[in-house]
Amino acid sequence: MAGLLALTWTFLWLSLLCVGGGLGVLPEMQRQVVAHFGWVTTREFVDGYTLSQLTPGPNMLVVVFVGYRAHGVPGAALAALAMFLPTSMLTAVVARRWERVRENPWALAAERALAPVGIGLMAAGVYTLARSAVHDATTAALAVAAAAVLAVRWLPPVAVVLAGGLVGWLAGL
Amino acid sequence: MSGVNRVRLAHLIRVFAWTGLTSLGGGRSAYFHDAVVVRRPWVRNDEFVQDLTLSQLLPGPNFSNLAVALGCRLAGLRGGGWGLAAVLAPGALILLFLAVLYFRGAFAPGVAPLMRGMGAAVVGLVFVMTARIVAASVRGRAAVLVALATFLCVGPLQVNTVLAIALVLPVSVWLHRPPRA
Repeated sequence: MAGLLALTWTFLWLSLLCVGGGLGVLPEMQRQVVAHFGWVTTREFVDGYTLSQLTPGPNMLVVVFVGYRAHGVPGAALAALAMFLPTSMLTAVVARRWERVRENPWALAAERALAPVGIGLMAAGVYTLARSAVHDATTAALAVAAAAVLAVRWLPPVAVVLAGGLVGWLAGL
Repeated sequence: MSGVNRVRLAHLIRVFAWTGLTSLGGGRSAYFHDAVVVRRPWVRNDEFVQDLTLSQLLPGPNFSNLAVALGCRLAGLRGGGWGLAAVLAPGALILLFLAVLYFRGAFAPGVAPLMRGMGAAVVGLVFVMTARIVAASVRGRAAVLVALATFLCVGPLQVNTVLAIALVLPVSVWLHRPPRA
Protein backbone atom coordinates (compact mmCIF):
# COMPACT_ATOMS: atom_id res chain seq x y z
CA MET A 1 0.00 0.00 0.00
CA ALA A 2 2.81 2.38 0.97
CA GLY A 3 4.55 1.40 -2.26
CA LEU A 4 1.48 2.28 -4.34
CA LEU A 5 1.20 5.62 -2.57
CA ALA A 6 4.87 6.42 -3.23
CA LEU A 7 4.38 5.48 -6.89
CA THR A 8 1.28 7.64 -7.26
CA TRP A 9 2.82 10.61 -5.48
CA THR A 10 6.04 10.37 -7.54
CA PHE A 11 4.25 10.41 -10.89
CA LEU A 12 1.94 13.16 -9.69
CA TRP A 13 4.74 15.60 -8.90
CA LEU A 14 6.66 14.50 -12.00
CA SER A 15 3.59 15.39 -14.11
CA LEU A 16 3.82 18.96 -12.81
CA LEU A 17 7.39 19.12 -14.16
CA CYS A 18 6.24 18.37 -17.72
CA VAL A 19 6.94 21.88 -18.98
CA GLY A 20 6.81 21.99 -22.77
CA GLY A 21 6.20 18.27 -23.11
CA GLY A 22 7.00 14.86 -21.71
CA LEU A 23 10.58 14.64 -22.95
CA GLY A 24 11.64 17.35 -20.52
CA VAL A 25 10.64 15.34 -17.48
CA LEU A 26 12.62 12.29 -18.57
CA PRO A 27 15.87 13.10 -16.70
CA GLU A 28 14.07 13.51 -13.37
CA MET A 29 11.82 10.51 -14.03
CA GLN A 30 14.84 8.32 -14.71
CA ARG A 31 16.52 9.56 -11.52
CA GLN A 32 13.42 8.73 -9.49
CA VAL A 33 12.30 5.41 -10.98
CA VAL A 34 15.79 3.96 -11.59
CA ALA A 35 18.22 5.49 -9.09
CA HIS A 36 15.94 6.47 -6.19
CA PHE A 37 13.22 3.79 -6.06
CA GLY A 38 14.78 1.06 -8.23
CA TRP A 39 11.41 0.22 -9.82
CA VAL A 40 13.11 -0.47 -13.17
CA THR A 41 16.70 -0.71 -14.43
CA THR A 42 18.16 1.87 -16.83
CA ARG A 43 17.86 -0.69 -19.63
CA GLU A 44 14.19 -1.37 -18.82
CA PHE A 45 13.47 2.37 -18.65
CA VAL A 46 14.97 2.97 -22.10
CA ASP A 47 13.11 -0.06 -23.47
CA GLY A 48 9.86 1.24 -21.96
CA TYR A 49 10.36 4.67 -23.53
CA THR A 50 11.19 3.02 -26.86
CA LEU A 51 7.97 0.98 -26.69
CA SER A 52 6.01 4.13 -25.84
CA GLN A 53 7.37 5.69 -29.04
CA LEU A 54 5.95 2.77 -31.00
CA THR A 55 2.61 2.91 -29.18
CA PRO A 56 -0.16 5.33 -30.10
CA GLY A 57 -0.86 8.25 -27.77
CA PRO A 58 1.49 10.36 -25.66
CA ASN A 59 5.00 9.09 -24.84
CA MET A 60 4.36 9.71 -21.16
CA LEU A 61 2.35 6.50 -21.23
CA VAL A 62 5.79 5.07 -20.35
CA VAL A 63 4.52 5.46 -16.77
CA VAL A 64 2.16 2.51 -17.44
CA PHE A 65 5.23 0.39 -18.19
CA VAL A 66 7.09 1.50 -15.04
CA GLY A 67 3.96 1.29 -12.88
CA TYR A 68 3.27 -2.25 -14.05
CA ARG A 69 6.83 -3.34 -13.21
CA ALA A 70 6.61 -1.77 -9.75
CA HIS A 71 3.12 -2.86 -8.64
CA GLY A 72 1.37 -4.83 -11.40
CA VAL A 73 -1.87 -3.67 -13.04
CA PRO A 74 -2.93 -1.43 -10.07
CA GLY A 75 0.50 0.25 -10.31
CA ALA A 76 0.05 0.81 -14.04
CA ALA A 77 -3.45 2.30 -13.54
CA LEU A 78 -2.43 4.57 -10.67
CA ALA A 79 0.72 5.73 -12.49
CA ALA A 80 -1.37 6.71 -15.52
CA LEU A 81 -3.99 8.48 -13.39
CA ALA A 82 -1.30 10.38 -11.46
CA MET A 83 0.50 11.44 -14.63
CA PHE A 84 -2.56 12.54 -16.61
CA LEU A 85 -5.51 13.36 -14.35
CA PRO A 86 -4.39 16.30 -12.14
CA THR A 87 -2.74 18.24 -14.98
CA SER A 88 -5.77 17.56 -17.20
CA MET A 89 -8.09 18.96 -14.55
CA LEU A 90 -5.91 22.05 -14.32
CA THR A 91 -6.08 22.41 -18.11
CA ALA A 92 -9.88 22.07 -18.06
CA VAL A 93 -10.18 24.78 -15.39
CA VAL A 94 -7.79 27.21 -17.09
CA ALA A 95 -9.08 26.53 -20.63
CA ARG A 96 -12.51 27.88 -19.68
CA ARG A 97 -11.00 31.12 -18.49
CA TRP A 98 -8.08 31.42 -20.88
CA GLU A 99 -9.70 33.96 -23.25
CA ARG A 100 -9.77 36.49 -20.42
CA VAL A 101 -6.47 35.51 -18.78
CA ARG A 102 -4.40 35.94 -21.93
CA GLU A 103 -5.36 39.60 -22.21
CA ASN A 104 -3.11 40.19 -19.18
CA PRO A 105 0.41 41.19 -20.35
CA TRP A 106 1.90 38.92 -17.68
CA ALA A 107 0.22 35.89 -19.31
CA LEU A 108 2.21 36.59 -22.47
CA ALA A 109 5.37 37.15 -20.39
CA ALA A 110 4.82 33.80 -18.64
CA GLU A 111 4.35 32.13 -22.01
CA ARG A 112 7.60 33.63 -23.32
CA ALA A 113 9.47 32.85 -20.12
CA LEU A 114 8.37 29.21 -19.98
CA ALA A 115 9.12 28.36 -23.62
CA PRO A 116 12.97 28.37 -23.32
CA VAL A 117 12.80 26.53 -19.97
CA GLY A 118 10.74 23.81 -21.68
CA ILE A 119 13.22 23.64 -24.55
CA GLY A 120 16.19 23.34 -22.14
CA LEU A 121 14.35 20.51 -20.37
CA MET A 122 13.69 18.76 -23.69
CA ALA A 123 17.39 19.02 -24.59
CA ALA A 124 18.25 17.51 -21.20
CA GLY A 125 15.80 14.70 -22.01
CA VAL A 126 17.67 13.99 -25.25
CA TYR A 127 20.95 14.03 -23.30
CA THR A 128 19.63 11.58 -20.69
CA LEU A 129 18.27 9.18 -23.30
CA ALA A 130 21.51 9.35 -25.29
CA ARG A 131 23.58 8.54 -22.21
CA SER A 132 21.38 5.54 -21.48
CA ALA A 133 20.89 4.16 -24.99
CA VAL A 134 24.15 4.99 -26.78
CA HIS A 135 27.07 3.03 -25.36
CA ASP A 136 29.33 2.12 -28.26
CA ALA A 137 30.26 3.05 -31.83
CA THR A 138 27.43 0.97 -33.36
CA THR A 139 24.63 2.49 -31.27
CA ALA A 140 26.13 5.97 -31.84
CA ALA A 141 26.24 5.39 -35.60
CA LEU A 142 22.63 4.14 -35.49
CA ALA A 143 21.46 7.23 -33.61
CA VAL A 144 23.25 9.57 -36.06
CA ALA A 145 21.90 7.66 -39.07
CA ALA A 146 18.35 7.76 -37.65
CA ALA A 147 18.67 11.52 -37.05
CA ALA A 148 19.95 12.07 -40.61
CA VAL A 149 17.09 10.08 -42.18
CA LEU A 150 14.51 11.95 -40.07
CA ALA A 151 16.09 15.35 -40.71
CA VAL A 152 15.54 14.97 -44.47
CA ARG A 153 12.08 13.44 -43.81
CA TRP A 154 12.97 10.38 -45.84
CA LEU A 155 10.94 7.99 -43.67
CA PRO A 156 8.24 8.48 -41.01
CA PRO A 157 9.48 8.27 -37.37
CA VAL A 158 7.93 4.88 -36.59
CA ALA A 159 9.55 3.33 -39.68
CA VAL A 160 12.94 4.75 -38.62
CA VAL A 161 12.64 3.29 -35.10
CA LEU A 162 11.64 -0.12 -36.49
CA ALA A 163 14.50 0.01 -39.02
CA GLY A 164 16.88 0.82 -36.13
CA GLY A 165 15.63 -2.32 -34.41
CA LEU A 166 16.23 -4.40 -37.52
CA VAL A 167 19.79 -3.06 -37.87
CA GLY A 168 20.43 -3.70 -34.16
CA TRP A 169 19.15 -7.25 -34.50
CA LEU A 170 21.26 -7.94 -37.62
CA ALA A 171 24.34 -6.39 -35.98
CA GLY A 172 23.72 -8.46 -32.83
CA LEU A 173 23.98 -5.41 -30.54
CA MET B 1 -16.07 29.76 -24.80
CA SER B 2 -19.78 29.30 -25.49
CA GLY B 3 -21.94 27.12 -23.29
CA VAL B 4 -23.40 25.30 -26.29
CA ASN B 5 -21.81 22.01 -27.26
CA ARG B 6 -20.53 22.07 -30.82
CA VAL B 7 -20.52 18.30 -31.33
CA ARG B 8 -22.26 15.28 -29.88
CA LEU B 9 -20.27 13.54 -27.14
CA ALA B 10 -20.37 10.13 -28.86
CA HIS B 11 -18.99 11.66 -32.05
CA LEU B 12 -16.25 13.46 -30.11
CA ILE B 13 -15.23 10.24 -28.34
CA ARG B 14 -15.07 8.39 -31.66
CA VAL B 15 -12.89 11.04 -33.31
CA PHE B 16 -10.60 11.48 -30.28
CA ALA B 17 -10.15 7.71 -29.84
CA TRP B 18 -9.25 7.38 -33.51
CA THR B 19 -6.80 10.31 -33.18
CA GLY B 20 -5.23 8.67 -30.12
CA LEU B 21 -4.94 5.37 -31.92
CA THR B 22 -3.39 6.76 -35.10
CA SER B 23 -1.01 9.33 -33.59
CA LEU B 24 2.40 7.73 -33.86
CA GLY B 25 5.85 9.24 -33.95
CA GLY B 26 6.88 12.83 -33.31
CA GLY B 27 4.70 15.93 -33.52
CA ARG B 28 1.60 14.16 -32.31
CA SER B 29 -0.38 17.39 -31.86
CA ALA B 30 -0.45 17.67 -35.65
CA TYR B 31 -2.83 14.69 -35.76
CA PHE B 32 -5.35 16.71 -33.74
CA HIS B 33 -5.03 19.64 -36.10
CA ASP B 34 -5.85 17.34 -38.97
CA ALA B 35 -8.82 15.77 -37.12
CA VAL B 36 -10.61 18.87 -35.81
CA VAL B 37 -9.49 21.75 -38.08
CA VAL B 38 -8.62 20.31 -41.49
CA ARG B 39 -11.01 17.38 -41.83
CA ARG B 40 -13.91 18.62 -39.72
CA PRO B 41 -15.13 22.18 -39.26
CA TRP B 42 -15.11 21.78 -35.48
CA VAL B 43 -12.41 24.25 -34.41
CA ARG B 44 -11.04 27.35 -36.18
CA ASN B 45 -7.29 27.47 -36.78
CA ASP B 46 -6.78 30.41 -34.39
CA GLU B 47 -8.74 28.55 -31.69
CA PHE B 48 -6.54 25.49 -32.22
CA VAL B 49 -3.35 27.55 -31.91
CA GLN B 50 -4.71 29.07 -28.71
CA ASP B 51 -5.46 25.62 -27.23
CA LEU B 52 -2.08 24.31 -28.36
CA THR B 53 -0.27 27.21 -26.66
CA LEU B 54 -2.27 26.63 -23.50
CA SER B 55 -1.47 22.90 -23.52
CA GLN B 56 2.23 23.69 -23.79
CA LEU B 57 2.14 26.47 -21.22
CA LEU B 58 0.44 24.45 -18.49
CA PRO B 59 2.27 21.59 -16.75
CA GLY B 60 1.53 18.08 -17.95
CA PRO B 61 1.97 16.06 -21.12
CA ASN B 62 1.08 18.32 -24.08
CA PHE B 63 -0.93 15.76 -25.99
CA SER B 64 -3.33 15.01 -23.14
CA ASN B 65 -3.61 18.70 -22.21
CA LEU B 66 -4.50 19.49 -25.82
CA ALA B 67 -7.15 16.74 -25.85
CA VAL B 68 -8.71 18.24 -22.71
CA ALA B 69 -8.63 21.83 -24.00
CA LEU B 70 -10.17 20.85 -27.35
CA GLY B 71 -12.68 18.54 -25.67
CA CYS B 72 -13.82 21.35 -23.34
CA ARG B 73 -14.15 23.71 -26.28
CA LEU B 74 -16.25 21.22 -28.24
CA ALA B 75 -18.49 19.72 -25.56
CA GLY B 76 -17.82 21.37 -22.20
CA LEU B 77 -16.27 19.66 -19.17
CA ARG B 78 -17.71 16.29 -20.15
CA GLY B 79 -16.10 16.69 -23.55
CA GLY B 80 -12.76 17.35 -21.84
CA GLY B 81 -13.04 14.30 -19.58
CA TRP B 82 -14.24 11.88 -22.23
CA GLY B 83 -11.83 13.34 -24.78
CA LEU B 84 -8.93 12.62 -22.41
CA ALA B 85 -10.09 9.05 -21.75
CA ALA B 86 -10.58 8.44 -25.47
CA VAL B 87 -7.07 9.51 -26.51
CA LEU B 88 -5.31 7.73 -23.64
CA ALA B 89 -7.13 4.41 -23.35
CA PRO B 90 -6.02 2.74 -26.62
CA GLY B 91 -2.31 3.51 -26.14
CA ALA B 92 -2.40 2.74 -22.40
CA LEU B 93 -3.94 -0.71 -23.02
CA ILE B 94 -1.46 -1.52 -25.80
CA LEU B 95 1.50 -0.44 -23.66
CA LEU B 96 0.18 -2.41 -20.67
CA PHE B 97 -0.04 -5.48 -22.91
CA LEU B 98 3.54 -4.90 -24.12
CA ALA B 99 4.74 -4.39 -20.52
CA VAL B 100 3.18 -7.72 -19.48
CA LEU B 101 4.91 -9.48 -22.39
CA TYR B 102 8.21 -7.68 -21.70
CA PHE B 103 8.40 -8.47 -17.99
CA ARG B 104 7.23 -12.06 -18.47
CA GLY B 105 10.33 -12.57 -20.60
CA ALA B 106 8.53 -12.88 -23.93
CA PHE B 107 10.99 -10.34 -25.38
CA ALA B 108 14.20 -11.99 -24.20
CA PRO B 109 16.83 -12.88 -25.17
CA GLY B 110 16.59 -12.68 -28.98
CA VAL B 111 14.73 -9.38 -28.88
CA ALA B 112 17.33 -7.54 -26.77
CA PRO B 113 19.46 -6.49 -29.80
CA LEU B 114 16.27 -5.33 -31.52
CA MET B 115 15.32 -3.19 -28.51
CA ARG B 116 18.85 -1.73 -28.31
CA GLY B 117 18.74 -0.81 -32.00
CA MET B 118 15.32 0.81 -31.61
CA GLY B 119 16.52 2.63 -28.48
CA ALA B 120 19.43 4.13 -30.40
CA ALA B 121 17.10 5.18 -33.23
CA VAL B 122 14.77 6.85 -30.68
CA VAL B 123 17.74 8.99 -29.56
CA GLY B 124 18.09 10.18 -33.18
CA LEU B 125 14.32 10.81 -33.30
CA VAL B 126 14.09 12.92 -30.13
CA PHE B 127 17.23 14.82 -31.17
CA VAL B 128 15.71 15.85 -34.50
CA MET B 129 12.35 16.75 -32.89
CA THR B 130 14.06 18.91 -30.30
CA ALA B 131 16.39 20.52 -32.85
CA ARG B 132 13.35 21.50 -34.98
CA ILE B 133 11.65 23.12 -32.01
CA VAL B 134 14.86 24.95 -31.03
CA ALA B 135 15.24 26.24 -34.59
CA ALA B 136 11.60 27.35 -34.77
CA SER B 137 11.13 28.95 -31.39
CA VAL B 138 14.32 30.01 -29.61
CA ARG B 139 14.60 33.70 -30.44
CA GLY B 140 16.85 36.27 -28.78
CA ARG B 141 19.79 36.12 -26.41
CA ALA B 142 17.65 35.83 -23.26
CA ALA B 143 15.85 32.72 -24.56
CA VAL B 144 19.13 31.06 -25.61
CA LEU B 145 20.66 31.73 -22.19
CA VAL B 146 17.64 30.40 -20.30
CA ALA B 147 17.40 27.26 -22.48
CA LEU B 148 21.14 26.61 -22.11
CA ALA B 149 21.14 27.14 -18.34
CA THR B 150 18.16 24.77 -17.95
CA PHE B 151 19.80 22.15 -20.14
CA LEU B 152 23.14 22.30 -18.27
CA CYS B 153 21.48 22.10 -14.84
CA VAL B 154 19.11 19.22 -15.55
CA GLY B 155 21.30 17.33 -18.07
CA PRO B 156 25.07 17.19 -17.43
CA LEU B 157 25.02 18.72 -13.92
CA GLN B 158 22.14 16.45 -12.80
CA VAL B 159 20.52 19.11 -10.63
CA ASN B 160 17.06 18.11 -9.36
CA THR B 161 14.55 19.42 -11.95
CA VAL B 162 12.34 21.15 -9.36
CA LEU B 163 15.36 23.07 -8.06
CA ALA B 164 16.55 23.87 -11.59
CA ILE B 165 13.13 25.30 -12.55
CA ALA B 166 12.98 27.24 -9.28
CA LEU B 167 16.35 28.79 -10.10
CA VAL B 168 15.88 29.46 -13.81
CA LEU B 169 12.19 30.36 -14.15
CA PRO B 170 12.21 33.58 -12.06
CA VAL B 171 15.20 34.83 -14.06
CA SER B 172 13.41 33.95 -17.29
CA VAL B 173 10.21 35.75 -16.21
CA TRP B 174 12.26 38.82 -15.33
CA LEU B 175 14.09 38.71 -18.68
CA HIS B 176 10.75 38.39 -20.52
CA ARG B 177 8.76 40.82 -18.35
CA PRO B 178 6.19 43.00 -20.13
CA PRO B 179 7.44 46.46 -21.09
CA ARG B 180 6.17 49.28 -18.91
CA ALA B 181 3.26 51.13 -20.40
